[in-house]
Amino acid sequence: MLQRLVWVTGGLGLSVLPHIAHIRPWILLLAAAAAGLRIAMEVKHWPMLQKWLRSLLAFVALLAVLLDYRTLNGIDAGTALLVLMAGMKLLETRTVRDLTVIVFLSYFALFAAFLYDQSMLALPYMLVTAWLLTVTLMRIHQTTSAMPVREAAWITGKMFLQSLPLAVLLFMLFPRLPGQFWAVTAARGAATTGLSDEMSPGDVSELSVSSALAFRAKFAGPLPAPAQRYWRGPVLHDFDGRTWRQPRTLFVPQQVAASAPIYDYKVMLEPHQRRWIFALDVPTRWPGQRAIRTSDLQLLSPREQPISTLTSFELQSATAYTVQSPLPEVMRRADLRLPQGRNARSIALAREMRGQAGSDQAFIAAVLAKFRNEQYFYTLEPPRLQLDSVDDFLFNTRRGFCEHFASAFTVLARAAGIPARVVTGYQGGEYNPLSGYLLIRQSDAHAWSEVWLEGRGWVRVDPTAAVAPERIERGLAAALADGGESLPGSYLRQSALFNRLQLAWDAANTFWNNQVVGFGESQQRWLLEQFNLDGDGQELGIALALSLIGFFAAMSAYLAWRFRPRARDPLAQIYDQLCRKLARRGLPRAAHEGPNDYVARVLQSRPDLAPLLVEARNLYVALRYGPRSWGPLLGRSELSRLKFLVNQLKV
Amino acid sequence: MLSRLLAALRRRTRKWARKRHGIDPDPTTLSPRRIYIVPSALGIAFALMLFAMFLGAMNYANNLALGLTFMLGALTLTAMHYCHRNLAGLQIRSASNEPVFAGQTARFGLALENGAKLARHELVIANEHGDATPVRVESGGRVVLQLDVPAPQRGLLMLDSFEVSTRHPFGLFRAWVYLNMDLRCVVYPKPSPRDLPPPPQETDTGGAQDTTRGDEDFAGLRAFHPGDSPRRIAWKAYAREQGLQVKVYAGTAVTSHSFDWESLSGLGTEARLSQLCRWVEDAYAAGRAFGLRLPGVEIAPNVGPGHRQRCLTALALFDERAARG
Repeated sequence: MLQRLVWVTGGLGLSVLPHIAHIRPWILLLAAAAAGLRIAMEVKHWPMLQKWLRSLLAFVALLAVLLDYRTLNGIDAGTALLVLMAGMKLLETRTVRDLTVIVFLSYFALFAAFLYDQSMLALPYMLVTAWLLTVTLMRIHQTTSAMPVREAAWITGKMFLQSLPLAVLLFMLFPRLPGQFWAVTAARGAATTGLSDEMSPGDVSELSVSSALAFRAKFAGPLPAPAQRYWRGPVLHDFDGRTWRQPRTLFVPQQVAASAPIYDYKVMLEPHQRRWIFALDVPTRWPGQRAIRTSDLQLLSPREQPISTLTSFELQSATAYTVQSPLPEVMRRADLRLPQGRNARSIALAREMRGQAGSDQAFIAAVLAKFRNEQYFYTLEPPRLQLDSVDDFLFNTRRGFCEHFASAFTVLARAAGIPARVVTGYQGGEYNPLSGYLLIRQSDAHAWSEVWLEGRGWVRVDPTAAVAPERIERGLAAALADGGESLPGSYLRQSALFNRLQLAWDAANTFWNNQVVGFGESQQRWLLEQFNLDGDGQELGIALALSLIGFFAAMSAYLAWRFRPRARDPLAQIYDQLCRKLARRGLPRAAHEGPNDYVARVLQSRPDLAPLLVEARNLYVALRYGPRSWGPLLGRSELSRLKFLVNQLKV
Repeated sequence: MLSRLLAALRRRTRKWARKRHGIDPDPTTLSPRRIYIVPSALGIAFALMLFAMFLGAMNYANNLALGLTFMLGALTLTAMHYCHRNLAGLQIRSASNEPVFAGQTARFGLALENGAKLARHELVIANEHGDATPVRVESGGRVVLQLDVPAPQRGLLMLDSFEVSTRHPFGLFRAWVYLNMDLRCVVYPKPSPRDLPPPPQETDTGGAQDTTRGDEDFAGLRAFHPGDSPRRIAWKAYAREQGLQVKVYAGTAVTSHSFDWESLSGLGTEARLSQLCRWVEDAYAAGRAFGLRLPGVEIAPNVGPGHRQRCLTALALFDERAARG
């Protein structure tokens, strides 16, 4: 019992291990304590807990989960409850049935782990754990004697391999349903890095040290030029002197006229638990049920469905566009608003520059020229700014990252009477020739401005491009290298081998994400087309039924072959044949008769067979009961003679 | 209530299976077609869990979770085949069963023989009176299991239908066969309590029927074997150049009784048989020679276990009506 208990507990532990990151520690501790207590009971022969006490514990545990998570619906609370209940169940485990239930719960925990992590590396761990759980399941059902681990592992391993073809066929052929049919609160992943809905000085530069993947994009046609790769994320309007935020009010939509080139592409977003869909510049077509375009040209997923799993969108975008309708008054007011009494020097400077410039365009050019020509520096580690961040940056520190420049530029433009807003997102991307995907990392995070110019609509102005043009053309690492700075890990990234390995790894991951994690209707249709089927539900059903029938037939045939009777030795086979032939002549051998008695009896009724039968009998008796020292060679010739004689016997 | 209903149902299915398969030969090889298989309670629980996993995976459109669900589902179907095959091809052969007295429990020995190239696991043999613990039969191996059947009355006890079942490999399925082999066990009458004295009917004194015991009478000569006592050597025969011979003596001065059905008039049939059984047992235990006289049956006085068995079997199978009519 102890050994079984340890195995079952170990299996449970392995299945809960992937949940460690997102389950509250007290739940893990409680479950572990229950397991430890149960094993101690077994070792020390302590009595089991009273039934009422166990029920009370289970009830309290349920209540605690409910209080902590405020729900029992959803993956998080469900997983927590699962782990806790498995621990409580361990406490009352006594019979094989109880142990089996724990193994079932472990399978379920493993299943739940996939809801959090579908990465390629998770799969081998899950498969090995599932295998170990099955080994445990087999061993706890061996009541005769403990089955050796190696034998159980061997048998279950073979069974896994035998089940694999059917599992793969089911996976490929089972029709997928679009969308959820049971809305539950989505998984709260571990805190992910990514853009947030507000921007303070230092936010984007913090993000830039992370080389984690933000999303991938694959273009149907040619890629946009590096300087055109602006991926728009949250658009920020409200400024309090330091931090930019999204507005709470909604704006009036405006007409957008896009002109060539138009890009068709697919973005595959890593989960970031927010609603933003990063589209190239201005999206002109998007899947209407799964995304909306806001009036400030952001693409968002529906409110109740943040991007919590790897999600793909087929999009179309334009990099050249004009906004034709006039700027509504609400938007103009919002995008001109500056906090009262903050950044006074900057505002004065902007008014003065606007007066000298004569036009909005000339003013913008003048500001950019100021950034370019005066002593402003692009750096990943800008000094901390005081409360009036724009004043401090423009007149004192003069060192900043993209958010400093974007923020300062937007404030100057607003002060000069030009409606302006800050756009955060990503800029650039690394092309992976192995997968054909553009990889956009967190280090590509960027912030820039958009200004409203009468007659042209919203125009992108990227002040960073004025200070550090390499950032836009060649990426962050290049821009920093010019200033003598280096990005963490950039040494590795510059190594060609590492880079190649990384790209290969990413290509494998992309394949995995597309073909396995993202396997769906389109892949199924493609698959059926390979077999010249048109891929409707009916044909999938027929294919499913056929695979099941095929599996049953193959499995029965294989096992019948594996369990076939052991071969009898050749001599016995020949003797059996002789007996069968005689039996067909109405002279079956009685169970008690040896060859001598049998042949004697046969010869009484069939004396005509005498010469043949007597020789056959002598040969058989000699081969079967004679001395071993005859040697194999002699034995073989006798055997073939016997075979010949039996064949001579006509029925 | 429910358990009684289930028991009745079980009896009915057994009867039905008996009608379907008839009496099985000895030995019987279990053909795949007569093996029944259903999910066990655990199997149903597992299926429900798989269904929940399936719904969850579909709901979240999580392909890996769906893959795990399908993998476990396929594994379950594989396990079903293994469970079925674990029985198919198994050979059941009757092994010895010892006669018992009425009121005792008869034990039927059944040998499970595995002629296949793989071992068979967790085989259980059971009838309505209980089951034997699960056994494993190695490839080419043979295991003898006992099935208990209470024997309340004398006569021939049939082993009613029994089943061979297995839950290997995971306990998710239970496969079983109903078997009806024509196995019988002789049930001797229950010896009555020692109250009546044995009948004082001495028939013969000094009769020497037992060649293996005693040394009263000269019985003949046989060839000398090393180890024979020199005092027994027939020197006269040796002198007559007949080779080395040994004199053999046999027989004891025994008093043999003949136990007679008729001497017990006034008792019922079963009571008479019980009394006769008691006398036979006592006489056998004391090493006395005895004979038996029943209507239509006459067994001459003798000694030894074979004789005892013959007498007790005659008592067990005594059919009064057949004897009279």
